[in-house]
Amino acid sequence: MPPIINAEKCNACGVCADICPTDVFHVKKKKTTPAIRYPEECWHCNACVLDCKQEALSLRIPLPLMMLYVEAKK
Amino acid sequence: MIATDKNAIKTDVLVIGGGIAGLMAGIHAARQGVGVLVAEKANTKRSGCGATGNDHFMCYIPQVHGKNMEPIIAEYYKSQVGGFSDHALASIFLRQSFGRVQDWQRWGISMRPKGKWDFSGHAFPGRPRIWLKYAGHNQKAVLTRQAKKQKVNIANHLSITDIIARNGKVSGAIALETAGEQPVLRSIHAKSVVIATGCGSRLYPSPTPGWMFNTANCPVCTGSGQAMAYRAGAKLVNMEFPNRHAGPKYFARCGKATWIGLYKDPHGKPVGPFVSKATRALGDITGDIWSDVFTEKFKSGDGPVYIDCSSTSKADLSYMMWGLVQEGNTGMLDYMAAEGIDVRKHAVEFMQYEPFLVGRGIEIDQHAETNIKGLFAAGDPVGNFRADCAGAATFGWIAGQNAAARAKRMAAFQDISDDPHARKRIRLYSGIMQRKTGPDWKEANQALQQIMNDYAGPRGRSETLLQAGLTYLKNLKKKTTETLAAGNAHTLMRSIETLDLIECGEVIFLSARERKETRAKHVRLDYPFTNPLLTDKFLTIRKQNGRVHMHWRDRL
Repeated sequence: MPPIINAEKCNACGVCADICPTDVFHVKKKKTTPAIRYPEECWHCNACVLDCKQEALSLRIPLPLMMLYVEAKK
Repeated sequence: MIATDKNAIKTDVLVIGGGIAGLMAGIHAARQGVGVLVAEKANTKRSGCGATGNDHFMCYIPQVHGKNMEPIIAEYYKSQVGGFSDHALASIFLRQSFGRVQDWQRWGISMRPKGKWDFSGHAFPGRPRIWLKYAGHNQKAVLTRQAKKQKVNIANHLSITDIIARNGKVSGAIALETAGEQPVLRSIHAKSVVIATGCGSRLYPSPTPGWMFNTANCPVCTGSGQAMAYRAGAKLVNMEFPNRHAGPKYFARCGKATWIGLYKDPHGKPVGPFVSKATRALGDITGDIWSDVFTEKFKSGDGPVYIDCSSTSKADLSYMMWGLVQEGNTGMLDYMAAEGIDVRKHAVEFMQYEPFLVGRGIEIDQHAETNIKGLFAAGDPVGNFRADCAGAATFGWIAGQNAAARAKRMAAFQDISDDPHARKRIRLYSGIMQRKTGPDWKEANQALQQIMNDYAGPRGRSETLLQAGLTYLKNLKKKTTETLAAGNAHTLMRSIETLDLIECGEVIFLSARERKETRAKHVRLDYPFTNPLLTDKFLTIRKQNGRVHMHWRDRL
């Protein structure tokens, strides 16, 4: 479920939780890796991915949101 | 449990919401030398519809467009945002818009990223172009920095729930701190209040059943400004008109995108009349002004409709990809790269998204003030003017100036103690937190969405459908008010958002019943014609002492 935190890269700075527009993350204890507490409230805006200096975050787009495409007609 | 911090906050100007309009209001108010608090329920660096960027800013630049502004005003009315604006406000906006462009350029948002004023996209062939292409990926960080430089006090994770107004004058607000697990109530004394709460998402079902946050615009902008203004006695206007965007099917976050391609049917035939080759200057504007095309072609069996960028030049495709980054669509670009979706060879299906509130809501005058003295509004929650990001910037600026001027004229704060409206609301919120069991906000929000969709939805409305829907909505409101349960600050915030949406829904039902004609996307199945007598007639609605008053007025 989006977003995904790579715990090995995460330095527990808390920026993702602080800046997420939809409050998806939860910091139970300061200086620990945030939990993805409300994954279904992700807007897929990518703010956490963009602002993570450790590049520890990525989004996984849920299946119902998959983009639909075909080969373009020549 | 809900905690209360007895220390009331005092500020000359309170700005509700730290998006584009809110930060611009805060910056300009602070420059007048008054104390300003911007209360933001998330974090101003990444909140609201402009959270990760934008790339089009409507404006009038005399050195580009010429000294005569009239053709630009005419173009504004024809655009996807100009349908329901008062003429006086549109004129003020266009005159001041270039000033805001210059501010942003000076502060560090690149408004001239290609070295010149580049008006491209969202344009008709052979007509003036009014959308300035800019590089807005850093806009929220820059505006936050500028606000701090001007000594604006920014309170993140502070959600304003209600406005306190007495005798037709604003006096303060109720706030909810949501940073911790336990919500904390605060009261705020303010001489002026600016509502800058953004649009209204989550009213209607999203493209994907059950995924309520799959919205083109910010899903936590939930019509709260309109709802709290209405509760305080302010007039709302044009609430009966649904507004819909279009974009890639199912992945609604991409809706506000800047694709350069042609909208085509499955046989490769363009569905719109405007261009036969899309360029950076003239993309296919069909989707802007006929977002129904995607729904109608589906219904007729001729769909689906795709965006096809395969004949777009290499240079323009690279410009498009750059534009998508500036607009904040990196989430979609990352996904497309991972999935191997290549715009040079793949056509991506588009769809029309659900209605949401933008440019429908609070009525303001040319000073951005409402009928409640000292209560101002700017940006998406305004109902008689709309120009999206540029409108938010320009009218935010105007609201900030006038809010500060009023605060300077007021010698003292008004008393807000023991306010009956505030007491009632606090009781409601405490009840939600105290209940051990009961439906959560998601149940209430989904129940609302299905009523909105079926009885006031885009398929069409009628007296009997609206009457039935309004009855069901009132039942839902009563049930929700009496039984909703939340376990922490986050879910209480979502619960209050949902109650605000229900309030907006009620106003939509009432206004839609009153407009007995079909106009724009307000489709009355029992009045399928457009009534010439209602052209340029705006419907306002307000509540006073528990009674609803609706009034028709001329477009000014």
